[in-house]
Formats: sequence, C-alpha cells, structure tokens
Amino acid sequence: MHALKLTRKSLGIPYALFLLLFVAAPLIVLVYYAFTNGQGQFTVSNLTGFFTDPNTLGTLCYSFAIAVTTTVVCLLLAYPTAYILAKSNFKRKSVVVMLFIMPMWINFSLRITALKEILTLIEGNLAYYPFLNAVIGMTYDFLPFMILPIYNTIVKLDESLIEAAKDLGADERSAFFKITLPLSVPGIVSGIAMVFLPAMTNYVVLDMLYNSTYIMGSLIGSYFAAYNWHGGSMIALILLGIICAFTLATKGMEDEDGSAAGGALL
Amino acid sequence: MRAETFVRKLIACALAGAVSMPLILNPVCVRAAESEEKAVTLRVCNWEEYIDLGDWDETIDLESGDIIGENSMVEDFEEWYYETYGKRVKVEYSTFGTNEDLYNMLTLGDVYDIVCPSEYMFMKLMAEKMLVPLSDEFFDETDGNNYYTRGVSPYIREVFENHEINGESWAKYAAGYMWGITGIVYNPEVVSEEEASTWRILNNPKFKRQVTIKDNVRDSYFAAVGALKHDLLTSPEFRADPNYKQRLEEEMNDVSPETIKTVQDYLQDVKDNAYSFETDSGKADMITGKVVANYQWSGDAVYSLDQAEEDDYILNFAVPEESTNIYFDGWVMLKSGIGDDAEKQHAAEAFINFNSRPDNAIRNMYYIGYTSVIGGGDDTRIFEYADWCYGAEDDEEEVVEYPLGYFFTGDNSDENYVITAPEEQLRRQLFAQYPTQEAISKSSIMVYFDSDKNDVINQMWINVRCFNLYDVPVWAWAIAAAVAAVLIYLFVRMKQRQKMYE
Repeated sequence: MHALKLTRKSLGIPYALFLLLFVAAPLIVLVYYAFTNGQGQFTVSNLTGFFTDPNTLGTLCYSFAIAVTTTVVCLLLAYPTAYILAKSNFKRKSVVVMLFIMPMWINFSLRITALKEILTLIEGNLAYYPFLNAVIGMTYDFLPFMILPIYNTIVKLDESLIEAAKDLGADERSAFFKITLPLSVPGIVSGIAMVFLPAMTNYVVLDMLYNSTYIMGSLIGSYFAAYNWHGGSMIALILLGIICAFTLATKGMEDEDGSAAGGALL
Repeated sequence: MRAETFVRKLIACALAGAVSMPLILNPVCVRAAESEEKAVTLRVCNWEEYIDLGDWDETIDLESGDIIGENSMVEDFEEWYYETYGKRVKVEYSTFGTNEDLYNMLTLGDVYDIVCPSEYMFMKLMAEKMLVPLSDEFFDETDGNNYYTRGVSPYIREVFENHEINGESWAKYAAGYMWGITGIVYNPEVVSEEEASTWRILNNPKFKRQVTIKDNVRDSYFAAVGALKHDLLTSPEFRADPNYKQRLEEEMNDVSPETIKTVQDYLQDVKDNAYSFETDSGKADMITGKVVANYQWSGDAVYSLDQAEEDDYILNFAVPEESTNIYFDGWVMLKSGIGDDAEKQHAAEAFINFNSRPDNAIRNMYYIGYTSVIGGGDDTRIFEYADWCYGAEDDEEEVVEYPLGYFFTGDNSDENYVITAPEEQLRRQLFAQYPTQEAISKSSIMVYFDSDKNDVINQMWINVRCFNLYDVPVWAWAIAAAVAAVLIYLFVRMKQRQKMYE
C-alpha cells in the first residue's frame, strides 16, 4: 500500500516539473519585469501608468466589450445546441457532435481566411464593421469550447430528477428552468472561462481577419515589439488578475466534471 | 522443406548483412568524423524566405550563359567553400521575422555569427558595439573571390560609405544584401497615377477604407512626415537647394516633439480612413481587390504586381513625390558569435562574397523578388538579367529607353546600361525593382533614433493604435451601466434566496 502511494506520487513528478519550468518560472520573470523599469529598479509606474492612460484603459474597455459580447453570443448559440445534442437519441448524436468538433481539426488560419472572404462577400467592406467582425471571428473560433463543457454536464444529468419534477406537476418549461438549467451551471461557467480570456487577448484571429481592431493582446505585442518588456509584462499581469477575480467570483459553481471537460479541450 | 530453405536463406542474408555492415559503414564514419572535426560552423540568421532554396523549374537563359537554382544557396556555398579554400564549413541557417525579433533574440542570448538586419537595426547594433568590423582582405579588389567589393553597385557603395553613426561609416561593418524603396501599389482603374504619387493618399477621403498602411511605427512615421511636409518637400526652392539630399534626410528624420505630436494626429486620421494596418495581408487584399491602394515595400510590390498579372489584373506602382524611404538589408558579423575566431570570420566573409557572385545574386533576386545591391562590376550578367525580366519583345510597339547606369556604373548616361522596355514598365515591376534615378534622387534613409526618442515614438504609435477611452460613445456607457445593474440585481436576489432557504 505504501509502495503504491509512492509510485502514484512519483507519477506526478513530470507534471510538477513541467509546471515549475513553464508556468511558475515564467510567472516570476513576468512579475519581475512588471515591477521594474529599464534600469532594473523597483517601480509601480507601469501599474499606475496603465490605469491613468485613457488609451490603455480604452483598449481594455474595448477588449472587454468584445469578450463579453463574444461570450454571450457563444452561450446563446451553444446552450440550445448542447441541449438538443444531449437530449437527442444516440446514433445521430455522435454524428452531430463530430460535426461540431470537426472544424477544430482544420487549421484555424485557414478557417479565418475563409471567413474573411465570406464576410467580405456579405458586408462588402470589412473595415466599416470592426466590432461586429471581431465578435464573429472570435465566436467562430471559440464556439466549440463553449458547446462541449455544457454538453458534458447536460448529458450526465440524472433524468429521474426531471421525471420527479414532472410527477410533481411541473410542465416542460418550469422543469427546464428549475432543474436542468441550474444543474448545468457548472458547464456554463467552465464554458465562459474557456471563451472569455482568449476572446480578450487572441489578437491573431483579428489580425488575420481585419487588422485594425486593437485589443489587449495586440497591446502586449506592441509593447514587446518596442522593447518595452516592463509595460507588456504589467498588462499581462493585469489580465491575469482579471481572470483570477473571475475565477474567485464563480468559485463553487464549477464542479470537477465541468473543469475536466474544459481542461480536456485545451 | 521449402520453408526451411527460405528461413535458412533469411538467416544467411541477415548474417551477411551484419558482417558486411560495419565494413561498409566504417570508412564513411571515420571520414565523416574527421571532417566534422575540422569543419567550421557558421551560424547564419536571415529574414524568412530571403535566400534561394533551389529546386527551380525555370532556367534564366542569359547571353552569358544559363542560370538555374538546383540546390539551395547554402548547400552550394558549403561545396564552393571546400573547393575554393579546401576547408569544410557547416552552415547552421535560421531565420527571423522582424528586426525587433532579431534584436530580442540577440539580447536573450541566441548566438549567431552573421545576421542580415535592415540598416536602422545594424546602426543600432553598431552603436551598441555588438559588431565585428569587416576585414581589410574583404575589400581587396585584386582577389578574384571578393565578389562583394568587386561587384557592389557604385551607388550603394557610396551610400554605405557616406552614412555614419558615432563617426563610423556603415561600410566598416556592413555589406549590403538587398535594397528597396517604399511606395504605393495601386489599381489604375480606380486610382490615378497622380493620386497614388503622394503619401497624402493614405488619408484621401476619396478612398475611404480602401487603402492599407504598414503596421509598424517606422514606415508609418515616414509616410506621415512625408504627407505633413508635402508643401515644403515638393517646393522648387527646396528641390534646388545645393544641400537638397542632406536637408531632405534631416526633414524626413525629424523627431522633434512638435512633429511627433502632429504625426500622431495625422495617423489618427489615417486610422479612420484606412482599411487596415498590415504587415503581410496587404498583398492579398490588394490582389483580391479588397483595397485599391496599399503602402508597400518595392520587393513586395513586384510580387503583388506579378501575382495580380497571373489573374489578368493590372496593378501599378508609384513612388510618392515628397520622398521615398530607401532601405538596405545588410550582412553584419556579431562579436558574440565570431569573437576573434579568424577562421570563422573568413567563412562569414566568404558567405557574403558567395552570395554577391553575380549568378548567385541573380538566383537570390529571382527567388525572393527583391533587388540585390550587386551591380556586377565588369560582369554584365545582372544587367542582362534585368533586361531578361523587363526588356521589350521585338514586336512591342510603345517602348521607352530606361537608363540604369546610375546603379551599374555610377554614370546614368552610360549607353551600355539602358533597357529598352515597354512603356508600361515605367509604372510597373521594372520601376519597383530598379527605380529611375529621378525617383532615387528623392529618396531618404531613415536613421536609427536613440532610445529616448525611440521610446517617445513607440509610445506615440501605441497611442495611435489604441482605442481611446474618450471615444467610447454615450450609448455604450449606458448599455454597460444597464448590464451591470441587472447583474447586481440578480446577484443580490440570489443571495437573498439562499438566505431564505437557510
């Protein structure tokens, strides 16, 4: 028994090492850069500079708006899809689930290039609708990340709970709102976590689609291109703070299955 | 019985193989190990897709002989070096995406012997004392293998000798590789040549959301300064100034606080007028007709024009009348890599020379579409190549005489260096690849700014690209406030309910 415990522990060593090397160490470097200036002295001016500059704050608001809109659109599209998928009979289900995962097997730069052509066909000139295009591009890219966690929670729901509710006189509608929806919240939360942060920083999607939408990720990129590693690190750190706050706020709503479903996708 | 013989044969074969294997391999192993020991390793870092990789399906048939790229330039160099100097050299070839990336790589501790940044970046490297000067032997014109110094265009040589940083000329550290200018690729059906021949096209409301601008601060800054100083730069008095060239470079490199401020305002306007800020996508947007004009480097302009032509779509190239940014990519050797290893430095300089050999310069030009700094000296093949590319067919009706003496011999009236080209080439690939002397006379380099100025300009650029908080419309604030109120309400209600259940 003792020996078994030891081996199980030692199985975790590679991952621990990975974490240490590629997560913890860079984070320390990040914090160091964020709180120093070009001469290596301690400073908080990077932090105060960010929150007093209308340009960086504006970009933060703009990215926030894009990310929130993308997340909401993803949720509105993904929930019914996941619900229908989970409730449909088995044979068709596997095919439909495949249909949703398949786009993820195609290289994303190819998908975005195709999307650009389609949108140009519809809109005429992309440059007039930067916000709309950003939301469409992000939604297109991140939708599967929302569908799968929700699907996973709904498919595991205990059917007897709904039957019990109906026995007690609930109609379809209230059974859904009182039973299914609250019980699928963990899936929704991990779906949001999977979509929100990338939507705020993944500027590659926007660059390929329409390169004048400037979001937080682009800002970090610009700072690094200008050799200002200190400013760039601080912005990365601020984003990290926002995500931590979000995770704390939704703490307890997420169950292990939900996060596992999300993690599997990454 | 049959099976048995088969098995026996198999075993016999395996045995024979096992015995003979070391015999066959051994001498090779030994030889490989020997040469490995003696081989000089040369770590080269160049732009992506910026050297001939071979495998062509077309032969360039010049009068002085055919040229074709079969193997990659790097492989050919290794072979040539062994044949010429009797020593093995092993090239470790890697690439970088932008000058800034290269600089970051170097400061993070990547070690290279020879790299190929643009002029402002090698100026920065020079100023930071990171480079090894080229040796005197490299400039020895009596040595037949010194293709660079024997073949470099007199025009380029002059530029490299006359530009200095901290009292040292570029030529001391840098050998040119490719060069080009900036200009506007445009669709002649929508944009007139006159409209395209000014930086002011970028904020011309006639082409709203149909022009692209470069997504980097230096190119954008140059265009903005050109547009803002249009009246001065195009005035006859300014042009007639005896120190025109010098004054032009001063004006184009003006980084006074007032200029930076006006450039920022100007670029804000451009941002509202342009289709996008791009680095690479502009070519595709131009060819597919999404935009009608795009700020482009001459090498990429040639590529755009070529690609569009394949779809029978005609694009033209124009050089802004205010000034054009002439740029150079040059080979420099790094102290961190070469150190005082004379063998390594010899190999590095041989690498420059090999790439400067006229046939190799042509191979690189053909493969990547940019223009080599090599004119060829006594060797006329590079001029023949330009003629091969752009010279008029015999049955062409409208032709013009296109003199290129300024580049090849330093004398533009040299009759041996005149291409008889179709008239349209005055606005097309020939003009982009080898601009006229008139266009070049209005060119200005863009120097490396010291780090204080650089910080200010970079910040200006980030401000331009950012979304300003004051630009958020009132209705957006109203929506945000409404959403926040609803969320708070829901949260409070949820908490109250939880309390009720408890």
